[in-house]
Amino acid sequence: MKPDINIALLNAAQEIINRFSPLIEDEYERSRLGSWGALILISAMKFNDASSSLKKENCDIVKWLKNHTKLRKEELEKFESCEDKNLDQLDQDNQNLREILDKQIQEIQAKEDNVLFREGIYLMRSMHQRRKVSDLIGMLQQQES
Amino acid sequence: MSKDLTSAFLSYYSEFQKKEYSLISLERIFGGASRETYKIILNDDSDKKERLILRLSQDSSLIETEQRTEYLAYSAFQKSNVPVPVLIDMSEENTELGAPFMLMRELKGEAASPFTPNIYAPHENELGEQFWSILGEIAKKKIDSDIYEDFNRETERPFWKNELDKWVKIIHEDSIGIEPILEAGIRHLYKYPPNESEIISMVHGDYRSGNFLYAENKITGILDWEMAHLGDPLEDLGWALSPIWSWQDKERPAYLVKREDAISIWEATSNISLNKDDLQWWELFAAIKGMAIWISAGNEFKSGKNIDPINLFSAWIPGDIHLEIILDILERNT
Repeated sequence: MKPDINIALLNAAQEIINRFSPLIEDEYERSRLGSWGALILISAMKFNDASSSLKKENCDIVKWLKNHTKLRKEELEKFESCEDKNLDQLDQDNQNLREILDKQIQEIQAKEDNVLFREGIYLMRSMHQRRKVSDLIGMLQQQES
Repeated sequence: MSKDLTSAFLSYYSEFQKKEYSLISLERIFGGASRETYKIILNDDSDKKERLILRLSQDSSLIETEQRTEYLAYSAFQKSNVPVPVLIDMSEENTELGAPFMLMRELKGEAASPFTPNIYAPHENELGEQFWSILGEIAKKKIDSDIYEDFNRETERPFWKNELDKWVKIIHEDSIGIEPILEAGIRHLYKYPPNESEIISMVHGDYRSGNFLYAENKITGILDWEMAHLGDPLEDLGWALSPIWSWQDKERPAYLVKREDAISIWEATSNISLNKDDLQWWELFAAIKGMAIWISAGNEFKSGKNIDPINLFSAWIPGDIHLEIILDILERNT
């Protein structure tokens, strides 16, 4: 079994941050390379879950729309197909679903339906929690120190 | 560093000051994405050292702003209670240095990263007192009439709408995808606007941790005025209080003093009595404006116009944090 891509990225990031960046005398270039190291580190941490997270997010949006809106089920079924989809296809589905979700949230806000809006916030928060990389900021600071 | 810039600068500055100079160093400072900033040390013909800061416009910058805006804002606060660098020159032409620029004297002190917790310890209380009172000074400063008129020409009323329209336009032009959290936040702001301010202030536009210089327990300079404009003083307060600038210790905005103390200091200095609902509006606005900046950065990066890693960092980390702040504010208001 070969080392995975995320392991390769992780090691590359460590080399950039700890080995190559300190060798650069120019402060601007050293900081710039160090930043690249940190960003590659984030990429490595998120790489493995990118596809499954997107798939889960799409499923969650479809489920929410089915349970909380009057959208026709057939409209949403195309996003639930069992065929294997690559990251680009999943991302395209995600954009389409986000557009549908946004329209629904807009209607809910216009009607001032606070109960349903809270449900919407709950969904959006779970989407954001899964996708965000800002929770890695502490780890980046440790790497830089 | 570019030899072209070095020789162009020496030639320009010698001509400008009518003196001969030799260059000791010219170093670019990492961080800012709106301008290329250089620290320059020169010797003049009597062997006297000069320390300068050069701010050069970039072909592709995060938010397009004119050098003149920043220059006028600095001009408005020369010799005031708001510490700013002494200005030397400004040009909106490409002739001297290949891009519009602003030149000023270097101030003592260092700038911190806004994302590093406890960066100001053990002087956070003294610096906090100064940070929030200087913001109060900015809010109450009577602006010279020529400078005021210059800014006033570009300002429509109400202030909140002028600013919100501007940033929402950037969001919708530069967004790579649809973000329902952000759109919900924008709709909330339009639906529940604040009172129009009776006080017209010079708004710094990016007053926060990281945009001031400090030497131990003293703030020595307020920097980065390129987004300055006339408007509601609560705009700066909402931006400076945003939890993004103290993400790992939200009780102490900017990693300085506690929120309630910060507001008290600001009120006492500015002589403005705070409307809490209006401040809450400006705090949500701050997150939306932040998102516009981070989205714009992500667009620059994705399109290849500017692949400085600061643009990718901005789109990823602060972008995530501001979305979370929007969710928190919406949830509190529902």
